Formats: sequence, structure tokens, C-alpha cells
Amino acid sequence: MTARAATLAVALLAIALVLAQDLYPVSALYHTWQYAAALALALAVMIAYANGVRRGDDGVLGRRLLVAVAGAAIVDVAGLASGLLGPDTAAVIGTPGTVTPVPALGAAAFFAAADPAALARESGVVTLRRRGAPEIVLEGGGRRLAGESLLYLDPRPAAFVEVFDDHGAHLTVTQPTNASFLSPVLLFRQRQRVGSFDLPFDTFATPARHRVLRALYFTPQQLREFAHAGVTDTTHPALVLTASDDGGRPLGITLASSGQTVAIGGLRVRVTLGTYPALAIASAPPAWALALGIALFLAGLGWSVLRPRGGARSGVQPQGA
Amino acid sequence: MRTVLVIASVLFLSACYNAPDPGTVAGGGGPGALAGAPAQSFEIRRTDGRSDSLARHRGRVVLLNLWATWCPPCQQEMPALERFARENAGKVVVLGVDQGESASAAAQFGREHGVTFPILVDEQQQYGRAYQGIGLPTSVIIARDGHVVRGIDGAMTIEQMREAVAPALRAR
Repeated sequence: MTARAATLAVALLAIALVLAQDLYPVSALYHTWQYAAALALALAVMIAYANGVRRGDDGVLGRRLLVAVAGAAIVDVAGLASGLLGPDTAAVIGTPGTVTPVPALGAAAFFAAADPAALARESGVVTLRRRGAPEIVLEGGGRRLAGESLLYLDPRPAAFVEVFDDHGAHLTVTQPTNASFLSPVLLFRQRQRVGSFDLPFDTFATPARHRVLRALYFTPQQLREFAHAGVTDTTHPALVLTASDDGGRPLGITLASSGQTVAIGGLRVRVTLGTYPALAIASAPPAWALALGIALFLAGLGWSVLRPRGGARSGVQPQGA
Repeated sequence: MRTVLVIASVLFLSACYNAPDPGTVAGGGGPGALAGAPAQSFEIRRTDGRSDSLARHRGRVVLLNLWATWCPPCQQEMPALERFARENAGKVVVLGVDQGESASAAAQFGREHGVTFPILVDEQQQYGRAYQGIGLPTSVIIARDGHVVRGIDGAMTIEQMREAVAPALRAR
């Protein structure tokens, strides 16, 4: 393989690696040192090739390809910088039906209200409003660029809990460990280790009956591995609920599937399981840098296939690597 | 040699890269953070069986009070709230919103405390969520134009209620 071919292959790979930040932002790859090192190495290869061309190693064609290499280098540096200097990837978890300030974007995020049916449909919407800028509506798998941040929704497990007393009267649900005190939507902001499982965990209370309930979220896969006698349906997620009184005295444990009403601790609890999105903010290479870099890369490639003026293509023979 | 130096430099640069773990920012802020925001409204049943919502009282100053029967500070605040409602009849609409309980429980509580203002039964705790209640009682003052003037966490005296609605009453 010639130095030219190797450099072009590396340039293409670097562009693909950087574009992946926009196309598949959920990956943790972009925050690893290996990713940064790969882009840095690609940059080094391109710089080394450019130095060779400057010395006349690759003739006229090499000089024309320098435009393409410069474009790839711009994309590469933009991708490297977004990892090195960009803000940390953050998930803004908002309670359904509330407004949450997002200082990093100078915006307010409106998390759409969700009833049990909306949670089950997994159809959350987040609207970002910024002063003097058009609002950004995020839903489903959509992604939007805002400055040097890439915004997308990250669906997280959620449960809508409804609690009744023995007579079927509705009881107030509060979340004693959570700022969204009055929301009956559990967003499982914490995690707890149980044996080999690392499970989403939340807790809520029913002050009228002096009960505190803890909820552990099991995926179908975890339910299969759980191998508990009470587990009959392993095709849908479920909650393991434990109840205690105000003094922490245990009052029972049970498994609750979505839509099912279970009795625990003198209460009847109905949970509806689904997902509710968090707003994920990832650093992204600036769009202008990607556009400029890719345009230069394509222009350089196009220019290199044109016959040089005068007809002769002397000095454009590939040089050995 | 120069190439080696360039490669060494970029490798050093990448080694300096301290990859952060993905962070998590939790939302929140409480009712006090809502001043100036458009007031959200939900159509729900009242204890008298009729349907009502905040939006139906647009054009008037509203004191929205979130409470529950089991909440001791709510019980203590209720006589002052009832007195305030009577004192400001025709000027301020007082809406009580029971959070998460059945209509029968809310109605019984209203009778026991001599409540005459409307009580909305918010079984799904929609108002509590929307107004970022971090405890009970929570009061929200809504201006005639449908914007939140102020959100207050905790029980108020009648003097504090008068003071809370004064700016909304002065505004035209």
C-alpha cells in the first residue's frame, strides 16, 4: 500500500469516527482515551503525509490531495476537540409535566406530562425553549444540534404508581428522597446492587398510611436470571416492591407487573411500567467545521482526478509507502 | 525526526485527555422557581361533582392551594385560608386542590373544616407535579393574565396570604 492510499484510508476512517459522534451519540466510545488516541494518530499520519508532499514526495497529485487531507484534518481536530474540550455528556432528568432549567444551554426544558398510558406508550416529549431562539422539540429517536451540543432523548425506566387503601380510596403518593415530592412517577434516579444485579431503584411514601415503599426495576432478562418462584412472566419488566412502616419495620415484599394491582403492607398498589426520556446533552463537533472539512475533502479528491493542465501527469505516480 | 516529534506530541495530547464519566443532572427547583411561567391547568372533578380547572378562572387572580387530608400543616392552614377566601370573595378565587386522594376523603375534610371554596380532587397529582410541589401545603398565586406570580412552599398565615396576592391585585 502506498503512503497516499494509506493516508486517504486513515483520513476516511477519521471522518467516519467523528461523524459517528453525531450519528450514534449514545455510545460511550467518544469519551474513551482510545478514541482520542485513534484520532490523534490519524492526525499524525495526515501531518506526516503533508510533510512528505511538501518535500515533493508525491508530485502534483500529492499537492492536490493535500486539500482533501486538510479537510479530513479539520474534521479530525473538531472531533478531537469536542471530546477534549466539550462539556461532559449529561442527562437532565425531569419530572413529567415540569420545567427544568438547563444552564449549560441557557434554556428551559419542558418535560411533557405523562399519565400511565403515556408511560406505557413510551412517547415522552421534551421541548427546549431559549430566549431569542426557536424552540427545539425532541421526541422519539430525533437528534438536534444546538451550538456545539448534540441533544437527544435517552429513554429511562419509569413507573406510574397508584396506591389505594382497603376500601379502594386513592392515597397521596410522595417521594421522600426526591425533589419532585408530589410526583407519582418514579424515574429510578438511583441504582442498587442486589447480588449480581445492578438495578434501577426508587422509593415512595404514602404519608396517610405511614408506609414507605421501595421499588427495584427488573428487566425481562434480569427476571429470567432472578429465578424466583414468584416470577411467572419473564417477557415484561416488573418491580419488586418492599414495604416498611415509618420506623423502618419491614411489612412485606412482592412482585408487581405493569397494570397489576398487588397487596402489600396494608395497601393496594398498581404500577404502570414504561419509559420516560431524560434529555441527553453530548458535546458534538461544530457543524461548520464538519461541513467545511468534508467539503474540502471531497473537493480535494475531485481535483486530484482531473487531468493536470498541459496533459502530462508526470510526477503523479504513486510513491511507495 | 520531525514526524516522530509530531506523533509524540499528539500522543501526549491524547494522553492528557481525562475522559469524564457521563454525568447526571437532576431537575427540580420547587414552586418558588415558577414565577413568570405560564400557569398550567388540568380539567378535573370537584368534590361537588362538577368539573373545574385553573384555566376556567382566567381573568381573575387565583390562589391555588395544594393540600392533603393527612398533612398536619395543611389542617392548621385551612381556617386561615377559608377566612381569606371569604374576606376576598369577588376579588380573589381560592381553589383548594387535594393531592392524590379520593373525592370522599377530600369532601369529608372540607366539611369538617367548614370549607366553602371549591375543592378540586387531583387523584393523579397533576397539579402537584406541574407546580413542583416539594411538600404540602403549596400555594401558587396566578395573575389575571394566567402567569404565575409566586409559588410558596409551606403553610401561610392570613397576613402572608394578603401580602402574597397584593402584587397580582394591583396589576391591571
